[in-house]
Amino acid sequence: MTPTARSLVIALAFFSCAISAQQRSTPIPRTADGKPDLSGVWVAGTQPLLLGEQESARLRAADAAAGRPAFRREPPPYKPEFEAKRLEFVARRGVDDPMARCLLSGVPRVTTRPLPFQIVQTKDLVVILYEAHHAFRIIPTDGRPHPDDLEPSYLGDSIGRWDGDTLVVDVVGFNEKTWLAGTGTIHSEQLHVVERYTRDTPESIVYEVTIEDPVVFTRPWRQQEILHLRPGERIREYECIENNQDLQRIEKLLQNESIFRVPPK
Amino acid sequence: MKTLIAAVAVVAFGPGALAHHSFAAQYDSTRPITLTGTVAKVDWTNPHMHFYVDVKDDKGRVTQWTFEGYPPNMLVRQGWKRDVSMKVGDTVTVSGWQARAEANTAAAREVSWPDGRKLASGPPATIGGQ
Repeated sequence: MTPTARSLVIALAFFSCAISAQQRSTPIPRTADGKPDLSGVWVAGTQPLLLGEQESARLRAADAAAGRPAFRREPPPYKPEFEAKRLEFVARRGVDDPMARCLLSGVPRVTTRPLPFQIVQTKDLVVILYEAHHAFRIIPTDGRPHPDDLEPSYLGDSIGRWDGDTLVVDVVGFNEKTWLAGTGTIHSEQLHVVERYTRDTPESIVYEVTIEDPVVFTRPWRQQEILHLRPGERIREYECIENNQDLQRIEKLLQNESIFRVPPK
Repeated sequence: MKTLIAAVAVVAFGPGALAHHSFAAQYDSTRPITLTGTVAKVDWTNPHMHFYVDVKDDKGRVTQWTFEGYPPNMLVRQGWKRDVSMKVGDTVTVSGWQARAEANTAAAREVSWPDGRKLASGPPATIGGQ
């Protein structure tokens, strides 16, 4: 790194710390009934692909200054037979990824993909609109239970409640056609996801997820990621199946696994 | 050692990549390529942009390469403008990684033009197993 570049990085980090300290003392926005207002366009993580290198560095520095890790994900606690299945998907380098076939990502993958989503909050309802696959989730926060006629679905059924300043979303009713986070992270229809959204600064939400599935896991799988507010960003269209040439390419690959399979050690 | 294990775990289950779906199955990160040629066609479509470049070899033979890149929503965020940034007839230099199964096909990471313009056109390579 050149001295000029180093100075720039140091200045940037200092600037971010200064902003972050100011943010911590700035009250978070609240709705008329006093709840934290989560409304806005958000994106998970600090991927430079979406944000650009400079903005990505600023957000990483802000996360560090806020005193919590930007990202934390334990290895998935699969039972041995399901860990073997996951490793087989890994050996196949993700060729089986449901997303490659333009299918809806489940929860939490729909959130943690680095594509923006918009939270719209009303008194009795939180709606999340995702750029990925035009997905949406309608989350009642009026105390109603899950419906008793659920059909297994990609995004499941969500209900929310407030635990102090944290929105807690309980999600059940999943099919088993999605991956949770990363290649081959399979699950059963008994999947139960609990998400906790805590707006800890005006610019960030701490997103904590607990994933339970007694069929595939030995214990709950926990993850945490930071969602960053993206002022000026808007949700754009993403019509995945318009011209998905990946499908033909994958079909061709599947005719001869040796082309793509990770060679045995 | 504990730190190392933690580091490996974070890499293996790291933040969701905005990669091509199953990039590692389709493209070979050990076969990077950089080519210069003339843009023959641009498909500004989802879930990936495709553009086609006629590349002339030493003997004057022309081969058409297919390049895959970001979807339009991401291209716009990287500074692209449809029908403006890349036009048929442009001379471009494209860097990326070759497809595993198809000849003359690659994932495009970056495109540059003779006037010095340079735009990201796709994600970095992954090796799979993430």
